[in-house]
Amino acid sequence: MIDPADQQGGVPAAEAPDIVPPTSASDDVLRAEHIAKRFGPVTALRDVNLHLKKGEVLGLLGDNGAGKSTLIKILCGFQKQDSGEMFLRGKPFEPKNVDDARAQGIDTVFQDLALIDELSVYHNLFLRRERVFKPLPLLSNRRMKREARTALDEIGINIPRIDVAVARLSGGQRQAIAVARTVNSDADIILLDEPLAAMGAKEGAQILDLVARLKEEGKVSIIMILHNYVHVLQACDRVSMIQDGVIALDKPTAETSVEELTEIVVNEYRRAREQSHREEAQAAGSQPPA
Amino acid sequence: MASVAQDPASTGPGGPEGPAQSRRALPGWRQIGSRIIALREGSIIVITLVVAIYFSANTSNFLTGGNLETLLPYFAPFAILAAGEVFVMILGEIDLSIAGMYLFAPIIYYKLNTSVGLSLGLSLIGALLICVAVGAMNGVFVSVLGINSFVTTLGTLFTFEGLSLIISKGTPVATPGGQVPVGTFGKVFGAGTYSELIWAIAIVVLLQVALTFTRWGLYTVAIGSNKLGAAEAGVRVNLVMIRNFMLCALTAGLVGIFEAIRAQTVQPNPAGPNEILFFAVAAAVIGGTLLTGGSGTVVGALIGALFLGILKDGLILQGVQANYLLFYTGLAVIVAMTANVFVGRARRGHGGSD
Repeated sequence: MIDPADQQGGVPAAEAPDIVPPTSASDDVLRAEHIAKRFGPVTALRDVNLHLKKGEVLGLLGDNGAGKSTLIKILCGFQKQDSGEMFLRGKPFEPKNVDDARAQGIDTVFQDLALIDELSVYHNLFLRRERVFKPLPLLSNRRMKREARTALDEIGINIPRIDVAVARLSGGQRQAIAVARTVNSDADIILLDEPLAAMGAKEGAQILDLVARLKEEGKVSIIMILHNYVHVLQACDRVSMIQDGVIALDKPTAETSVEELTEIVVNEYRRAREQSHREEAQAAGSQPPA
Repeated sequence: MASVAQDPASTGPGGPEGPAQSRRALPGWRQIGSRIIALREGSIIVITLVVAIYFSANTSNFLTGGNLETLLPYFAPFAILAAGEVFVMILGEIDLSIAGMYLFAPIIYYKLNTSVGLSLGLSLIGALLICVAVGAMNGVFVSVLGINSFVTTLGTLFTFEGLSLIISKGTPVATPGGQVPVGTFGKVFGAGTYSELIWAIAIVVLLQVALTFTRWGLYTVAIGSNKLGAAEAGVRVNLVMIRNFMLCALTAGLVGIFEAIRAQTVQPNPAGPNEILFFAVAAAVIGGTLLTGGSGTVVGALIGALFLGILKDGLILQGVQANYLLFYTGLAVIVAMTANVFVGRARRGHGGSD
């Protein structure tokens, strides 16, 4: 594997980050190859190659606007890529929408949590998977309450009342509900977009504990967007870093360190600064610095 | 009330003390009062009762069978219209075209019966199907094309009021099924004394059950509360929105035909329907449905319509001069809404579960 830190450690390179080529393992559950996505004039993803092994926890890192959330939204069927292919358990994967991806076993916690403030905790937990009195279309609220309580207890999330609107919960509790909703589904691939955002240290630790427990059980594979490198090294098996719309680093966490990850980001900032200096210089009509 | 009003201050964001306080035992009447306020419709129930008691005390014939019979036409049609409108308003949208459907449906009903020669029942069904199609069109414009619902439905409002004038050539006609002697069909669909009341109650109960106890209702609230979140969770946002606009147009067309049969004539005059539109929206809002979406009840809209009906009826009985009627109604609406908001705030702080 190419190590950007080695390559760029000495002389700060000005060119774009290296692209990790498509890789695969025999036990891949999800694979994305050459994914590109543009929003009008903005290129969010240029050429992303990513794979997720069975039972693995993959940490996805990257600067703000690097394309992490876009990648998650493509993987979960919320948006469609412009080009590139995805494979789910070795078969081509072209989700029509979130429901379709979910039916195929991919469930997601979005950055904005997709919680409905006006609805109760248990209605949020069961949104799109409501329990009804078959064959009547009436909601079985009692059953959802009971199952919600059981699910939250199993997951180890403490929510005092599950019949209150989620608007009344704290940021950490809301995040926990969103994670619980996904975990409680029958998904075997879970995508978490910044699960530790808006959380205190204690609540964040609970979520990481939950991820660790899920990993131990070994039934689900997880891709998780994180910002804190310590969390990444603690919770993930492997780390992929997005820079500039491509995956620029892909390593087992055991082979990397906070220092290396920091170094890469520092280099990225240095590169960006040089780039903007050069552009300013060009705009001023002078020669770029040698 | 005092302890209820204090709660918002003491309840921090997600503070655990909120539920604990609401659970403490309140003695007797205060407990019942607190229960009523905990209901979403609680405030308007209280306000309507107060107004009804005021008129019973101050006029000799408010509480008479004869008066209750005159009260019904004021109230039942608004309740049905508002029930449909609530489904659109909870989405955070509004449907102004209900006035258009109200005017258009009886004209189509008349044409299908007299010009095409369909039976009364088939004419009714045909007219309502056309209303539903217009509702679907509204829904597609708002959800799929993303055009503001106020603008879209203002357009369909004018279009179909205009079409009503064109088709009817502006001439009132006798409503089929509404002529004396009124047959069973006419009695069921508007002409019977309690026909509209029974329809109103049936429709309100049905739609309240749909809103509270079905996925459709759950998704309606979800879209109004967090449209993107609902979409991310996998709710088919466009489908639900289109369906709600269809429902709203259906109830409007139904009321239009009821009223035409009751009045025995189809009046192609947009002025009446336009006023009715605003009373229907007022009934929904007074009943606790937010114009911003995410929250509302059909039962509340029924009580809001009852409130408006009692107010108008009571003022007439009190001998208020006709010129003052709208003025007093306006003031009362402002007062009722303000009270509603304050009681609503107390309720939310109070921690009652929804």
